[in-house]
Amino acid sequence: MAYTADANKKFQKELNSGSASLVLLSILAHADEPMYGYRIAKLMEVDDESVPMMKQGALYPVLRSLESSRLLESYVDPSVSGPPRRYYKITKSGLETLKTWTKIWSQTKAFVDGILEGKTDV
Amino acid sequence: MCKDVNEYLAKLKKELAGCDPALIQDALSDAEGHLRMALDEVLSDKPSLSEPEAVVPIIEKYGSPKEIASAYRAIESRTSPALAVSRTKEMRSFWARFFGVLAEPKAWGAFFYMLLSLVTGIVFGGWAILAGIISLCTLVFIIGIPLVGLFLLSIRGIALLEGRIVEALLGIRMPNRPLFLDANLSWKEMFMVLIKESLTWKSLLYAALQFPLGLIYSLGIFLLFALSLSFIGSPLLELVFHLPLELFGPEAFTPVWLLPFVSIAGFFLLPLTFHLARWVGKVHGKYAKSMLVRA
Repeated sequence: MAYTADANKKFQKELNSGSASLVLLSILAHADEPMYGYRIAKLMEVDDESVPMMKQGALYPVLRSLESSRLLESYVDPSVSGPPRRYYKITKSGLETLKTWTKIWSQTKAFVDGILEGKTDV
Repeated sequence: MCKDVNEYLAKLKKELAGCDPALIQDALSDAEGHLRMALDEVLSDKPSLSEPEAVVPIIEKYGSPKEIASAYRAIESRTSPALAVSRTKEMRSFWARFFGVLAEPKAWGAFFYMLLSLVTGIVFGGWAILAGIISLCTLVFIIGIPLVGLFLLSIRGIALLEGRIVEALLGIRMPNRPLFLDANLSWKEMFMVLIKESLTWKSLLYAALQFPLGLIYSLGIFLLFALSLSFIGSPLLELVFHLPLELFGPEAFTPVWLLPFVSIAGFFLLPLTFHLARWVGKVHGKYAKSMLVRA
């Protein structure tokens, strides 16, 4: 049982490592205003008992990495009521990348779904 | 399992040992910001919870120090080598680092903090000492108790303001939490919270000590800065404007052959002054964090 749980965790982790960037770009593309990491993490929280997509702390290095690739940009707001917040917003190049990645994702999803449904001519 | 945010951060730092210092800084500031925001939210929803009770599930959601460190390491390994080199400050030569301090925002921040501490030291220290003595004297009357309460409240306000200054100029994270976690406290309970919290007394001591420290910092750094500039400009000052540097006594001019050396000494003294400012800023920032932030 422990082995199955570990294997599930590993599978989830491998899936996440590729999809996290796409999810974060998409969240920020749909946001009306720049968002800080904690708010993004809260948005991604799942209510049920299923395995969460990723640990909240693992979002931050992805955000930093997207920023260093210039797909996101950020600024720090020294909040008076709490710790300073780093706000992220998507760049023009981020929006273009998101379009391409969404297309790749749709193709991959259709392919995997086809296989899972037993179709061989996908 | 970690019982508080500081313990978590210490473990995360340990797990990230050997990584680029900038990456460690990013990871620590991301974690601290997130965990403190989550903690504030949980404690304002459920004030009856103790901090360790509240923090455990938050850390569980955030990820263990080991997991998070490996997430940052994975990102670092994907960073292009060209970018990684530009982040490594240690690659610079000794002289580049020595003179480069003049271009470092952190050194300038610390320099201005030290200059500003003349004002903050006099205001904060003066208030802590004078108002403290006055409110203690009024304790013999019944009106003294609310006055002491107000005085202690003002000290916590000063601590908050100084925290913001330290954070802005010294770049040390000074997370702050609401003064009273429970909004429904009576006046008496608020007074007791102020009296019982060691942070109030540490803030009072900090404010009082800012008086001598502020004088030492500001006068010391101003003297060194002025000395550096006058050394650098000594040939101009003495030969063109006929203003003696008085290195060899009152009204005494420096021998002409010595002036180039004095000027060169000034060029070295200026970065040294900024290195000193940066060091003092670092040490003072740690001291301020230990005195003004709720553990």
